Amino acid sequence: MAFYRGQQGSVKFDDAGATGVTITSTRSWSLTVEKESLDTTALGATYRANVGGLISGSGTVEVLYTASSADETNVFIEHVNTATDEGLALFELFLDTTGTKKISFDGVITSAEYSATVGEIEVITLNFVTNGDITLGI
Amino acid sequence: MAAVNLNTIRSTIEGRLATELALSPVIPVVFHNQPSTPTPNSSFVQCLVSFGNNNFLTMGGTTGSSNSVIGVIVMNVFTPKGVGPGANLTIGKRIRDLYNRQVVSGVHFDPPTGPEVVASPAPEGYFQTQVRLTFETFEDL
Repeated sequence: MAFYRGQQGSVKFDDAGATGVTITSTRSWSLTVEKESLDTTALGATYRANVGGLISGSGTVEVLYTASSADETNVFIEHVNTATDEGLALFELFLDTTGTKKISFDGVITSAEYSATVGEIEVITLNFVTNGDITLGI
Repeated sequence: MAAVNLNTIRSTIEGRLATELALSPVIPVVFHNQPSTPTPNSSFVQCLVSFGNNNFLTMGGTTGSSNSVIGVIVMNVFTPKGVGPGANLTIGKRIRDLYNRQVVSGVHFDPPTGPEVVASPAPEGYFQTQVRLTFETFEDL
């Protein structure tokens, strides 16, 4: 049985939505995929009934600040400041180093927290939501 | 990028101290695993560099990833016994100022602890204090 550890993961991103480029110095990522439930309980029923509704996702990527300026990492950490964002940016969240197990979707970066704490490495936390299909290739 | 060279880090740390203590007033310094016979009624410094925790910093495999390498420096300052702490603290200040919050060749030095008086000097016959500090450097694979 194969198990995986967090350091085997990675994140790729492309603001143009074409080909994902690895985001350097990624410390962690997480994604929550949610499905709405719609109540279809019949009048007089004893048990509640539900069917699945719309699916959406949201998550977080933590990046260590390295002052990189000329690659996709810089675009990634500044993308929240995009004036017109049509949600076409490509996100690829990998679970293994071979690059075959991934979750991909288009999305919007909704917030970025830039932080510096004495004695600690500077971290940028980016939150995102998905836009459209979520492909679970895991 | 490559695995970190521990001797390069050690050289950065020890070289900085050796250069400082070679300035006037010169203070002899001895490092790990070196033979040394202290001169009675004189001052000297013992510098001990040890590597400790290594931690994951970023995601990735054996390439394109980073680790944190942390270590500790212990510097024992010996001065003549029975003449007060002044001379000892003067040396301690030189050492403290040398590393305090400095970043040298990618080695980040934290604020030092001490000089703390050591109750039972080793070797005996000296007034001993100890300056300790941690350092961190980053390994890019």
